[in-house]
Amino acid sequence: MSENGHDEHGHEHPHEESGHEGSPWAARIRAVEELLAERGILTHEEVEAQIGYMEARSYENGARLVAHAWTDPGFKELLLRDTKAACSQLGIDASGTVEFVTVENTPTTHNLIVCTLCSCYPRAILGRPPDWYKSPAYRSRAVVEPRAVMKEFGLEIPEDVSVSVHDSSADVRYLVLPMRPPGTEGMTEEELAGLVSRNCLVGTAVPQYKARERASS
Amino acid sequence: MIRPVRAARFRPGDAVRVPNVEKKGHVRTPAYVKGKHGYVTAVLGEFPDPESLAYGGAGLPEKPLYRVRFRQADLWQGYGGPPDDTLHVDIYEHWLEPASEEG
Amino acid sequence: MSGIHDMGGRREEFGPVDKSQHELEDWERLADAVNYVLNAKGHKTTDEMRRAIESLEHYREMSYYERWAAAAETLVVEKGLLTREEIDERAAALERRWENG
Repeated sequence: MSENGHDEHGHEHPHEESGHEGSPWAARIRAVEELLAERGILTHEEVEAQIGYMEARSYENGARLVAHAWTDPGFKELLLRDTKAACSQLGIDASGTVEFVTVENTPTTHNLIVCTLCSCYPRAILGRPPDWYKSPAYRSRAVVEPRAVMKEFGLEIPEDVSVSVHDSSADVRYLVLPMRPPGTEGMTEEELAGLVSRNCLVGTAVPQYKARERASS
Repeated sequence: MIRPVRAARFRPGDAVRVPNVEKKGHVRTPAYVKGKHGYVTAVLGEFPDPESLAYGGAGLPEKPLYRVRFRQADLWQGYGGPPDDTLHVDIYEHWLEPASEEG
Repeated sequence: MSGIHDMGGRREEFGPVDKSQHELEDWERLADAVNYVLNAKGHKTTDEMRRAIESLEHYREMSYYERWAAAAETLVVEKGLLTREEIDERAAALERRWENG
């Protein structure tokens, strides 16, 4: 239970993602699933398989895409032109009806992703979105004051870098290709992927690297 | 472009305006862009119409979908960031109309 | 007036972004999966799901997966796959079993 959890009676403006232990919907969705299975509309196995599918997805897929794009210009071009094809080249299954677009951070533009109408997110690639991405505070503010929101995540974008906010309002899910941090030239692809957090793929963070020899300066 | 499109009314660079109309029911055009001017930056392709799909329809005819760029300063009075900050929304063709260049 | 779900720029929602993460409960995983399976098998669409969620009377008071569970229920009833009564009955039976379990 999160510290912001609330009682099950649903006070006004509860924490969006309290676990709702004891939620009446826990029994109702189980009832729906059981009844649908009894009617042969779906099977428990299909439901379990879908749960497994989502559990197997995480932002690490995105980190792999980014690290490979950093080391292979041809792959970067493919990722920006056809994200699905790039995924399939790395063995990430992003097939399905949803489309994906990767937007590139540059020295002059920083990208931030939000879905103001619901919580669209590149789930097939990155897994389920974090709670904050679904929160009314993020959804309402990210479009109006993106710089203030990013600052709350510890990311300050300089005034001479423009901020592009992408509201995933339709059939396309967006992810961010961040810039490769300086000083990482000798790193392996795996090490590079380790620099890419989930928030880097949404735009509320950028990959950081502090070279050991420079840490004391 | 992600998906093919047969006949797109707008092209990248076109000045457009989102009509400031209320439509009952399910739409995927956020209220904050209504009545606002922007520029088409990409034709994403043709997609089933969500306003039909949402009620069990087939989503036909499919609608061209565009990425539209807005200046933040044009969307929000007193926007706090630099003038180059932008916002991008994917908008179906029937939610766009041509606008004059000077907006 | 736009719907409650249409949150871009909605000032009454402004406030610090809570960055804490809760561990998903089993029923939340179930709500997630049931919706995807029903979509994949052609029983409903993402767009119907969004419409059902937006139409929830208590949208703002519900958690994310409560909305998913409620919308799934709305749609299976709407499409005649199940009745509200049998869901009520089965849910009540499950609650009793869990209390005694």
